[in-house]
Amino acid sequence: MTVPPWGAMARLVARRALLAVPVLLVVTFGVFAIAAASPFDPVKAYAGTAALGADQETLDRLRENLGVDRPFAERWWEWLTSAAGGDFGQSSVMRQPVAEVIGERLVWSALLCAVAFAVAVLLGTVLGVLAARRPGSPLDRAVTSLAYALEAAPVFWIALLAIWLFALKLDVLPAGGLTDTGSEHVTAGQLLSHLVLPAGVLAVSQLPWFTLYVRQGVGDALAEDPVRGARARGLSERTVLLGHALRSGLLPVLTLIGSRVPELITGALLVESVFSWPGIAAATVEAATAVDFPLLAALTTLATAAVLAGNLLADLLYGLTDPRVKLSEM
Amino acid sequence: MTTRRIRGAAVAAAMAGAVAACSAPGGGGTDGGAPADSVVIGVASEPDTLSPLLGYGKDGNSKIFDGLLARDADQELKPALAKALPEVGDGGRSYTYTLREGVNFSDGEPLTADDVVFTYRTVLDDKTNNTAKSELDAIKEVRADGDDKVVFTLKYPYAAFAARTVLPIVPEHIAGKQDPNTGSFNTEPVGTGPYVLTDWSKGEKLTFKANPDYWGGAPKVKKLTMAIIADDDVRATRLRSGDLDGAVLPPNLAATFKNDDGRKTYRATTYDFRAVTLPTGNPVTGDTAIRRALDLAVDREAMVDKILDGAGRPAYGPLPLDDPWFAQDVERARDLGEAERVLDEAGWKPGKDGVRAKDGRRASFTLYYPSGDKVRQDHALAYASDAKKAGIEVKVESATWEVIEPRMKHDAVLAGFGSTGDPDFGLYTLLHSSLAGDGFNNMARYDNPDVDRALDTGRRSQDPEDRKAAYDDLQRALVKDPGYTFLTHIDHMYVLADRWDGLTTQTEPHEHGFASGPWWNVEDWQPKK
Amino acid sequence: MADTTVEKTNATGAAGAAWRGHGAARRSTHTLRLRVSAALVAVTALAVLLVPPLVQLDQQAVDLSAKLLPPGWSHPFGTDDVGRDLLLRCVYGLRVSLLVGVVAALTATVIGTAVGATAGALGGWVDRAVMRLVDTVSSVPHLLLGIFIVAMFRPGVWPVVVSVALTHWLSTARIVRAEVLSLRSRPYIDAAVSGGASRWRVAVRHLLPGVLPQAGLAAVLMIPHAMWHESALSFLGLGLPTHTASLGTLIQGARGSLLAGQWWPTLFPGLFLIIPTLAIAGLAGVWRERINPRRRSELML
Repeated sequence: MTVPPWGAMARLVARRALLAVPVLLVVTFGVFAIAAASPFDPVKAYAGTAALGADQETLDRLRENLGVDRPFAERWWEWLTSAAGGDFGQSSVMRQPVAEVIGERLVWSALLCAVAFAVAVLLGTVLGVLAARRPGSPLDRAVTSLAYALEAAPVFWIALLAIWLFALKLDVLPAGGLTDTGSEHVTAGQLLSHLVLPAGVLAVSQLPWFTLYVRQGVGDALAEDPVRGARARGLSERTVLLGHALRSGLLPVLTLIGSRVPELITGALLVESVFSWPGIAAATVEAATAVDFPLLAALTTLATAAVLAGNLLADLLYGLTDPRVKLSEM
Repeated sequence: MTTRRIRGAAVAAAMAGAVAACSAPGGGGTDGGAPADSVVIGVASEPDTLSPLLGYGKDGNSKIFDGLLARDADQELKPALAKALPEVGDGGRSYTYTLREGVNFSDGEPLTADDVVFTYRTVLDDKTNNTAKSELDAIKEVRADGDDKVVFTLKYPYAAFAARTVLPIVPEHIAGKQDPNTGSFNTEPVGTGPYVLTDWSKGEKLTFKANPDYWGGAPKVKKLTMAIIADDDVRATRLRSGDLDGAVLPPNLAATFKNDDGRKTYRATTYDFRAVTLPTGNPVTGDTAIRRALDLAVDREAMVDKILDGAGRPAYGPLPLDDPWFAQDVERARDLGEAERVLDEAGWKPGKDGVRAKDGRRASFTLYYPSGDKVRQDHALAYASDAKKAGIEVKVESATWEVIEPRMKHDAVLAGFGSTGDPDFGLYTLLHSSLAGDGFNNMARYDNPDVDRALDTGRRSQDPEDRKAAYDDLQRALVKDPGYTFLTHIDHMYVLADRWDGLTTQTEPHEHGFASGPWWNVEDWQPKK
Repeated sequence: MADTTVEKTNATGAAGAAWRGHGAARRSTHTLRLRVSAALVAVTALAVLLVPPLVQLDQQAVDLSAKLLPPGWSHPFGTDDVGRDLLLRCVYGLRVSLLVGVVAALTATVIGTAVGATAGALGGWVDRAVMRLVDTVSSVPHLLLGIFIVAMFRPGVWPVVVSVALTHWLSTARIVRAEVLSLRSRPYIDAAVSGGASRWRVAVRHLLPGVLPQAGLAAVLMIPHAMWHESALSFLGLGLPTHTASLGTLIQGARGSLLAGQWWPTLFPGLFLIIPTLAIAGLAGVWRERINPRRRSELML
């Protein structure tokens, strides 16, 4: 193993951190602009079903109070200046300060997504390597077809099947919530058992991309000259597979890590609602369809940070695994 | 190919197996020995806020709070925080309530007349983002008279006003220090009610514990949990697994619990109707013959049986069949022949394409339903199919409310409303011509002087006999000129473990969740011996 | 199964055989799978092209008296909860979904490949600028961007296609760029460059074929994803009317009857989504193997 290029890595991180500022500004401004053009009416979203029985005076009064008719650029500037001072504003749709909405829920979503993502990456890698080892074998065929079928199958089938099997038939895992419905405190043991099904289903829904890209990458690498050379030198299959093929085969996976973050959030949305997981994914949809500017802006900032961090991580790992890639060019 | 077949079969078998097993009764077994002093209920959605200032619990049964008055199982008003029903004076313009003595909020502070005044004044404040403020429009002034009396002065005599005072009362000493729109009272409420909120984990559950000092006596059910489970299938499965004691379910899933010994199914009738608005401004839907023909041609029974799986009743008007205010003689059968005769007589002659026409105008209009609402979608499609049989073309479209709202003047909409409490609440806003097109009030812009007169009499008269007669006239006038085609009233279905005695359901409004179902009065449940 | 790895179907088979002992028997199953995939794709294409002109479907017609009939002679797939024939609706739904899925996936892949390949091949500040742009776009919430695009047009199929395509090219762009960066350092590229090949020629003749297998994989995975996106937008009221048959709305609409014992309204549209996906994946797998320059290079050895 060569010594990792610490200096180059540090410089890359610093450069990206600097670039994150303009990116964040552009993204939040863009989100305000897009949301202002949204076909959804924040007043109706605020009032919910009550809006459908409301008179014009009530709707007008709410519109006035919520200040939804002001130009978006002005609202963006207002949000930006107060956010810089640590005040993220009030979420109208949640009837709560934005900081409180995020504080209450973010940690659970982050936990769910992190576990599911880790499982998806690890399991995807294992399955992909197994499939790539013997292309065309029954195992390969089973893994690839399963991956495509999972990508096509409705996620609620998988979720329902999992709940039915583990919660109803085997009665080994709880079917929803953060803790037992009867209990009042969050304990580590309960949390763990309640995390299994939602994280599992989310991981399974994210699995196809990783599995198929690992299979493709490792499969290609196995056919390349260095690997063939290693095999010709009589190195063991294990060394060839793990030492050479996996290393270069993992490149596309590292790329995926950054770019699958938005999809992960979308997936989390369904899983959180099915499993009554008190996370923030539902809030992202509500914020988007309710045109709740402060909440939307805060959530977008978080998503941007996650995407940028994911891509940075991918690029760093890239530099580590593939010495041919120059970090200074990233 | 072989692998494909096997996997296809495996998926099919897995799914079919799941289904067969799930429809077998008592799959996961009920915990027969579960304690009767705690109950876990699965509901589909959580409230936006728990603050009555923004509309929580405005129709009563809020668990955490009490209103001046409350409703019993038959919807009759009974005193709650008030010692007795109000004294009505000044020809129906003044309502005086005397407060019950010795009532404390759950933080120990006593309830005073100032809390009541604060609550009503805050709700009526333009700065408060309460969507139901207009329900209290009749109030001119509310003031405290000493420590234990509250006097409401109204702008006009309003017979139904007492039914509005089920509005929950909040403590001024806590809520008064906050912004009612975003303050922490929205998530950490304090009230006088039978339960105290212990935790609200958003998107997961709300937990309540019994208020031991409740003025009505400490509830027998000590712990109440409301689990938020949006997916109907998951809610049914968790109920079956014993994780939940009770749940609100769609009728077809509730039916799968029918043979379950440990659980009982409850069916609550409602004021929740589905109707098609027939805009007066549209030359086709504004035509009385077309309106009458549509009213005669729709097969309400089939809609109840098939779309609602039997859990509903045909709607012959805005009031449900079992309402005391329902005019018995407006019930009518489907009669396609009569519908055709009405159209023929009015000059709507069958055209070549099967659609009738009159003076070169085709009997055709567009019907919108809000996308994503399956029940309304099915009603709209069935309505269009029925109309087609009478020679009227209904083009069904789906859209968001934002798209539908500006078109309500010309195009029909599959609407749904229904208020409990008093006929005035639902009917005045639905039918009075002065409210035509005012927001979502009177969406069809219905304009019928007979109906207006009846609505005014019903609103102002203090004599129950006069009111009953007025609302009877109104319902008959609606049959003669049906500006809305009323289709069905939807029943709500609940399944609950059979561990308590004396459970009932109320007749429920359009919105349902926490406050409805057999747990509307969970504080009064008695464990089974 | 249908997919794939019809590894080394032609001459490459020899190399494979030498390495792992893939025999003639295996090769014949490969060919069989290829044929099955091709046949299924052909049947699908014919069904969605021929059936609608021959059998009319009134999208808004219902027959409440025929509610939820199990599969049988008159309705091979049964009927749904308002008495509509599922077979016909599945075929019509497949038509809409396939259109959305294939067009959106191809568009997204072409955009992604073009952007990724340009960034990777040019390198330097162009690469950096483009990738930060990609970061920026992918940071805007997916749903919001999709809603925005759909909302700019009148509701219909094409806005949905545009919306899905324009929000889904980002992964492809990153994957393709990474692959180009990796390929650029390969000896055969160096050889081509030192042999005097122009930048354009290197990109088109050497880099592009190298990234096509990766891009093709993304395209196939995107097809079912795009179909699901269509139904999500429709339920929000921004796509097609929800009573119009599309596979996504058929499956979602039938959720309610699944646990009540009626499995057919959700299973059949589900299979209509899964089986063509597998068949297309099978064909794409063969195609990817054929164009893969790394595998091809074996022949030159």
